[in-house]
Amino acid sequence: MDSFTDTEVGGWEARAERYSGRVRTFITETDPGALAVVALSMGSLLLAFAGFLSASPLAAVPFGVFVLSTGYGWVRHQALIARAVTFAMTTVTLVTLGLIIAFIFVESAAAFRYESVTVFGVSVPGLGMFVQTRWDAVSDPVRYSLVPMIHGTAMVTAIATLVAAPLGVAAALFISEIAPPAVREAVKPGIEVLAGIPSIVYGFIGFTIINPWAGEEFALNGGSTYLFVGIVVGLMALPTVVSVAEDALTSVPDSMKDGSLALGATEWQSMTSITLPAAFSGVSAAVLLGVGRAIGETMAATVMLAGVQKIPEPITNVFYGYETLTSLIAANYGNASGTQESALFAAGVVLFVTVLSLSVASQYIEARMRQRLGGERT
Amino acid sequence: MSRATQNALVREDRGGYEAVAASAVGLSGVVFAVGLATLVDIVSITTPVGNGTLSVALGAALLGLGLGTSGLGLASRLGYVDASPQPSAGVVAATAFAGVWFVIGAFAAQEAGLGTPGWLAIGFVSGAAAFLLTALRREDVGSTLPAGSVAVLFGVALVTGFAGPGWERVLVGYNATLFGDTVIPVVTMVASLLTGWAAAKSYGGFGARGRNIGAYVLIYLIVLSILAVLVGLLAFVIIRGLPGLLNGVAVGGDQLLRWPFLTNGASLLAEVPGVFPALIGTVWLVIGAVLFAVPTGVGAAVFLSEFAEQGRFTGVVEVATNGLWSTPSIVFGLFGAAFLIPRFGNQKSLIAGMLTLGFMLLPLVLITSREAILAVPDEYRDASAALGVSKWETIRSVVLPAAIPGITTGIILGVGRIAGETAPILLTTGGGVLPGRSAAPNVLGGFQLSASPPFVTNPALLEATSALPYQLYALITAGLSGNIEDPQQFAWGLALTLLLVVLLFYAGGIATRYYFRKKLHQ
Repeated sequence: MDSFTDTEVGGWEARAERYSGRVRTFITETDPGALAVVALSMGSLLLAFAGFLSASPLAAVPFGVFVLSTGYGWVRHQALIARAVTFAMTTVTLVTLGLIIAFIFVESAAAFRYESVTVFGVSVPGLGMFVQTRWDAVSDPVRYSLVPMIHGTAMVTAIATLVAAPLGVAAALFISEIAPPAVREAVKPGIEVLAGIPSIVYGFIGFTIINPWAGEEFALNGGSTYLFVGIVVGLMALPTVVSVAEDALTSVPDSMKDGSLALGATEWQSMTSITLPAAFSGVSAAVLLGVGRAIGETMAATVMLAGVQKIPEPITNVFYGYETLTSLIAANYGNASGTQESALFAAGVVLFVTVLSLSVASQYIEARMRQRLGGERT
Repeated sequence: MSRATQNALVREDRGGYEAVAASAVGLSGVVFAVGLATLVDIVSITTPVGNGTLSVALGAALLGLGLGTSGLGLASRLGYVDASPQPSAGVVAATAFAGVWFVIGAFAAQEAGLGTPGWLAIGFVSGAAAFLLTALRREDVGSTLPAGSVAVLFGVALVTGFAGPGWERVLVGYNATLFGDTVIPVVTMVASLLTGWAAAKSYGGFGARGRNIGAYVLIYLIVLSILAVLVGLLAFVIIRGLPGLLNGVAVGGDQLLRWPFLTNGASLLAEVPGVFPALIGTVWLVIGAVLFAVPTGVGAAVFLSEFAEQGRFTGVVEVATNGLWSTPSIVFGLFGAAFLIPRFGNQKSLIAGMLTLGFMLLPLVLITSREAILAVPDEYRDASAALGVSKWETIRSVVLPAAIPGITTGIILGVGRIAGETAPILLTTGGGVLPGRSAAPNVLGGFQLSASPPFVTNPALLEATSALPYQLYALITAGLSGNIEDPQQFAWGLALTLLLVVLLFYAGGIATRYYFRKKLHQ
């Protein structure tokens, strides 16, 4: 254990040493004028960002300095300034993700504090959102349970996955393995167009056509159902599954498939015993991403669901459609204030954490698949 | 495997058998299509066909299909035709049949008035029986008999009128009722799917070749259904939306083209209410998002693939980018509301929406640009470096031009996606439900200089503005009513306009890809 820590520290020190050495060489080898311009440009950008964060109108001043110094640098020392500016642009992704996390967590803090529950003498903030089922922002007792919405999201996502996963994988198999080139060139853009139809258009069709139809066809009390919201959301998640799964299937080397075909296997045998197993992790990553899309789908759920924060009886009843996490936020954000608004951010936190975990998990799975197919070892 | 090849080579006298199987597949397809048409109310199941109704005719067809499919399997089992079945139809088929037969058994038990333990038990028994029959018997019997008997059962139920148009069952406790005109089409579709698959397998003589054909039939059906849904959706919105969109269009006269729906605002006074402010709002939102996200995304892609060493930093950025890509749009909306709105005048504003959509567009641009830059062959870079060109010059004049097609395609597809986004602008941009023409943002004319920081202001950017997707949402929540003539028609016209705007971007993106690919292969 000790030696392990020592090497760690030693490694870290050595790295720092090497790094500072590189920086020193870089500074001595670079034109001091260029260095000054880059420092001014990056420093003023940092200052402008800090000013913007503190909501100061003065942020415009360093931003102006940044624009001017970068413009000057672009003319005189283009290579260096381009490198610095593109680096700054790269950090925007990280900064955005960091800001999203920081802001939605800070805004949700009040609701988490309000819903604290004491367990064994320890007050656990936010636990009250998950251990009881009452969401009522108006009448006493005011409680903000997310359980009904989590249940709604789970129902919709489960139905959507049942639609999107088998159909998506079948369509991906068709595009990557079965279709003749001419058909593929027609089907692929078709699936892309399906991804392009705005969710509010789906929602509009759902609201004006599907809901009344379902209400009549099943003699429902109102037309909102998790069943049909789930089917619509599944249709919307389908293109994600198709395109990611198709990428995974295409990345299986042709030599593997050809070997199987040369042994006399039929195409379907090669698919089920060679291509699909080899691409299994990529295909499951595709399904995971599709699940993520379904969880985050907002507008169709918002306009098609009833907007009631309850759990239906019995709990598996797909003929009720009450509320999902996303529709809760979209439908209530404008009218909410104080702790209720904060509770909407808490719903956002649950959504964000879930979908981000799914995304990271699917990336991990994909990375493993690439390593395996590339013949590298972890 | 060797058996399959042998039989495929020496297969004789299967002409009649194959013809029967092929016509069973065809008939299954027809029955499936008719079932679908009745489900979406294109035809009613009470339509008279011959002496009975469509319901009875479907029943007769299912009966025939069921008997035919079972016959195909038995003919092979008894050795009348040369087929190459395997010892078992496999666990996947067995599980599927077990599911179908569980439902049938459970339903029959409920009809007989048994309680929950009773129907669970009966359902389980019949499911298990189907599973064992499929998994343990030879493939020709295992895959045809369970499918054929489902069709026979449903066919008999329909022909005898046990289940017909007037059939209904209340789902106690579920607040729902199942009616014949919903259940019969669904049941018909399931049964025809099963017989179609089984018949396709027997057409191929079971075994590897039969499975190949059976699977292909199912996959082709799935892809056709997806495309049918797509075409149906587009056609539906177009047919419903065209009257609103083309309301009052005139060519010639004092103007070259009058298109009031796109150039008018909404008001009682306007002859034809239009979506002009929302259209302009969407255009500015897209422009703002592109101005923010495209340089940032492309710059980051250049840094990641050309300057940075592949290591922990690029790995983290990649994970963060993919994480941003899959972040739900409503979370971006919450973020915009919490972060941007307090910094731009504490109210919903155009610029807050622009930046929020920009944040959403950023990962799309970054991912596609990076792919495009990585796809530029290293020979290009090496050749340029061999000529003594500096690294940055190489990037600027060799790598980027070669990557432009991919980058452009990515940008256009990304823009198409954010142009239709509603959730983020719902929380950040807002605007009126039916804005008049004067509510259209005048961004270009709105810039003002001032003596105090931030020196440049633009009130047009700081106002709540309507956009196409938001206006559609607002109309829906207002219950499709408002101070205009025929709000319903207006809303469909609006939906079509939004769809066309988005599809134009997609068509543009796809066309760009084809154009450059063709040029590349010349």
